[in-house]
Amino acid sequence: MRAVWRLFTSVRWALILLAFLALAGLLGVLLPQIPSTLRGDDVAVAAWLDTQQGKFGVFTDPFHRLGFFDVFHARWFAAGLGLLVVSVTVCTANRFFPIWRTIRQPQRRVPETFFQRAHHRVEFATPAEPLALEGALRRRRYRVERFQEGETTYLFADRFSWAQLGTFVSHLALIMFIAGALVSKFTGFSEDMFVGEGTTAPVFAVSNPNQMQVRVVDTVARFNPQGQPLDYRTELAIYQGGDEVKRCTATVNGPCVYSGYRFHQAAYFGFGAELQVRDVRSGNVIYKEVLALADSMPAPHVIVRDGEGRTLMDATLVLTDFVETAYGTTVTIPGSDRTMWIGVRPGESSGRLDLLAFEPGQQADAARLLLPEGQRASAGGLDFEFVSLQRLPASFEPGFPLPPDSAEDSPQGQVLLEMSNVVYGVEETSSGEAVSVPTQNGPPTLSVVGVSPTVLNLEPGQAASVGDYEYTFLGQREFAGIKVKRDRSDNLIWVGTGLLLGGLGITFYVPRRRLWAKITPERTYLAGVAGHLANFRREMGKLGAEAGSPDAAQEEEKDGSP
Amino acid sequence: MSDPSPIPEPSDVDEAPPRRRVWAGPWRSVVLPLVVVAAIVGAIWYIESRGLPFVESGSSAGSGDYGPVALPPDRNPTGRDPSPEKERAAPDFLLETLDGGTLRLSDLQGKAVLVNFWATWCQPCRSELPHLVAAYDRYRQEGLEIVAVNLQEDGDTIAGFVEEFGMQFPVVIDRSGDVSDKYRVIGVPTSFFIDRSGVVRTIYTGPFVGQQSRQGIEESDLAQRIEEILR
Repeated sequence: MRAVWRLFTSVRWALILLAFLALAGLLGVLLPQIPSTLRGDDVAVAAWLDTQQGKFGVFTDPFHRLGFFDVFHARWFAAGLGLLVVSVTVCTANRFFPIWRTIRQPQRRVPETFFQRAHHRVEFATPAEPLALEGALRRRRYRVERFQEGETTYLFADRFSWAQLGTFVSHLALIMFIAGALVSKFTGFSEDMFVGEGTTAPVFAVSNPNQMQVRVVDTVARFNPQGQPLDYRTELAIYQGGDEVKRCTATVNGPCVYSGYRFHQAAYFGFGAELQVRDVRSGNVIYKEVLALADSMPAPHVIVRDGEGRTLMDATLVLTDFVETAYGTTVTIPGSDRTMWIGVRPGESSGRLDLLAFEPGQQADAARLLLPEGQRASAGGLDFEFVSLQRLPASFEPGFPLPPDSAEDSPQGQVLLEMSNVVYGVEETSSGEAVSVPTQNGPPTLSVVGVSPTVLNLEPGQAASVGDYEYTFLGQREFAGIKVKRDRSDNLIWVGTGLLLGGLGITFYVPRRRLWAKITPERTYLAGVAGHLANFRREMGKLGAEAGSPDAAQEEEKDGSP
Repeated sequence: MSDPSPIPEPSDVDEAPPRRRVWAGPWRSVVLPLVVVAAIVGAIWYIESRGLPFVESGSSAGSGDYGPVALPPDRNPTGRDPSPEKERAAPDFLLETLDGGTLRLSDLQGKAVLVNFWATWCQPCRSELPHLVAAYDRYRQEGLEIVAVNLQEDGDTIAGFVEEFGMQFPVVIDRSGDVSDKYRVIGVPTSFFIDRSGVVRTIYTGPFVGQQSRQGIEESDLAQRIEEILR
C-alpha cells in the first residue's frame, strides 16, 4: 500500500501522467477522429476507415485498434484521466493537513543560526524598540507574537498565512475539471429531434420516468434581403407527466432550459406540408401528418408567347407525369385552345435537363421542340422561352391512404407530393403554426399525384374529395431541428474555473510573509521567509526605521539580496 | 522564555514544494484521499440519480393512486402471478380516463380486451388507429373492449386527437409510465390481446396496417387476433 501511495504522491508520476494526456490530446487534435454520428456503427466506421487508407496506408488498422482515431473515447485515455484524478486527489488531500497546521500553528521560534543564514535577512547596529516594531508590523496586517528571554526580545510575525491554501485551491480546481469531464462522458445526454410545427415528439424512447414531450408551437426563419438566413427561432412547449411545464423560445445561441435539459435550436427546414385525409362516410380523420418534403422535383420556368410577342403563359410548371426519362405535365396554353405536354428530359450530350414541348396530333404546325435552359425558340407558331430550371420540394409517400376504388391504380400505394409557391427566404417566414406570408405567385400549393387520375392542386385549407376520402392541405409547415442536451458537468466546470482563478490569484497576488525578529540591547536582527522574487529586505529596512533603528534607513535604500 | 529542545529550521524556507509527500500514516495518506474520491463519486451519483421532479397532474386529485394495482386473487384464473406474457393473467392497473373518470382493467373481465399502448407522437400508432376504430365498430357488439393506454401525454393533445380520429373506445393516460413499465413496453404501438377471463393470449408489437380498407376488417391479422380472444 505504501508503495502505491508513494507512486501517487510522486510529483514525477503526476508530471508523467500530464505529459501522457497532453500527448494523447495532441494525437486527438492532429489525427482525424471518427465522427460522432458514425460511432457505434461498425459498418459506418469501416467505411470511414476505408477513406483514411490513402493517408495512413498500412497503419490505418493498427491506429484504429490503438484508438488513435477515437482518442477521447479510448479506454486508455479514460484510464489516464482516472489515474490523474487519483494522483491529484491523493496529493491534495495529503497536503491539506500540513498546510492547515502551518496556518494554525506556525513555527514561532527559529534557531539562532537562522538569523545568519536566512535568504531574507537584515541586521541593524542599533536596537529597535520592540513595541514600535510590533506596531509597525500590525499596521502592515501582520499577526504578531512577542517573547522575552532575558534581555533579548523575540518577535514572530506572519501575514496572509492562509495564502498557502492557494495551491490547494488550484489542485481542487484540477479535480473539478477532470470530474466534470468524467460526468460529461458518463452521464451526459444528447438527442437530436426533428419536429414539425404543431406536432409533438418525445425526448426519450417510450416509457421513462423523466419522459418529456416537446411540442413545436411555431418555428420562424428570418432572412436578409438577399435571402441569406439570419436567424432561426422556435417556440416550444414542454410537457411532462401530462402537464405543460415550460413554454419558451429556443434560438441558435439561446437554448430553452428545463430541469437541467437544454433545448437548442440546431436546424431549420422550411419545406413541410400538413395534410389530412378524412373518411367521408364515418367523418373520422384517418390520416393527419406534417410531412417533410425532403426530396426535390424539377420545375421549369417557362414563358410562352404568341406570334406577335404577347405573353400567353408565364409559369413554373409542376411536373406530375413520368415517361421514361422525361418528367412533364399536360398544359393548356391560356388564351388558346392548344393543349400540349411540357416537361424536361436529360439532354443527350450535356446531361442537363432540357425543356421538352410536345403537342399531340398530325397537324403540320404542331408545337414540338427541345430547348436548353436559358434559351428561346419558336415552334408551331408559338415562342417558347426556357427561363430557368427550378426545384420544388417534394416527397414520395409510401402507405398513403388511397380511396378503396382507386387503390388498384396505384399498386405501390405511393403518392408524390410537390409544393410550389413555397414561402422561403423572406424577412420572416411565419407567425403562428401556419406559414402565412404570401408569395408573388400566390399561396403555397400542394400537388398530390397518384390518388386520382388528375392531380390534386390544393391551396391551404382547400379540400378535394376522391371517392370516399377527402384530402385537405392544411398548409405549409416548418420543421425545427432541436438538440436536447443535459450535461451536469457545467456546474463543476464553472466551480473549477472559479477555484482555479481564485487559487492562482491567491498564489500570485497575496504575498505571504513570515518574519522573525531578535532584539538584543546591542543589535537588531530580522529574518524572514517570502517568495524568492519578493523584495522582503526593503520592507525589513522600513520596519527597522519605523522601530527606531537609525541605520535601518540605509538598508531601506538598498535593493536586492545581501 | 526557555525552550530546551532544539528549534528546527522552518521546513519550507525555500518555498519550493517537496518532491515527495511525507507518509502520514494510513488514515491520512490512504483513507482520507479515498474518502475524498468517494465523496466526489457519491456527489456525482447523487446528482445523476435524483432525476427530474415528477410533475403530478394538476387536473386530477389523487393521481398518485393511478398505475399498476394488485390483481384480486379471485380474478386470476391462472394460479400464477400476473405477468405481461402469453398464458399469464394480465397485470391489473387503475388509470385515469380522458373525461376524468377511472378505469380498472380487471373490471372488464367478461369482455375480450385489447390493451393498446400508443401516443399521438407515434406515427405508426396514427397509422394503426383507423384500423382499431374499424375493429371496434365491427366487434364491439360481440364483447370487444379496446383500452388505449396513452403514454404520458397531456389531456388536451389527446382529446383533440381522439375526437378527430373518432376513437369511441376508452382512452386512459399513463402519466407516470408505470403501467407501460409493468407491461414491459419497449416500443409503441404494442397491443396485448386479453381473453374474457383476463389471460393474455397474444402480444403484438408494431402497427396493424394493411389491406383492410380494400378487403374489409374481417380478413386482417388484427381481426383474427380479436376473434381468438372473443371465443
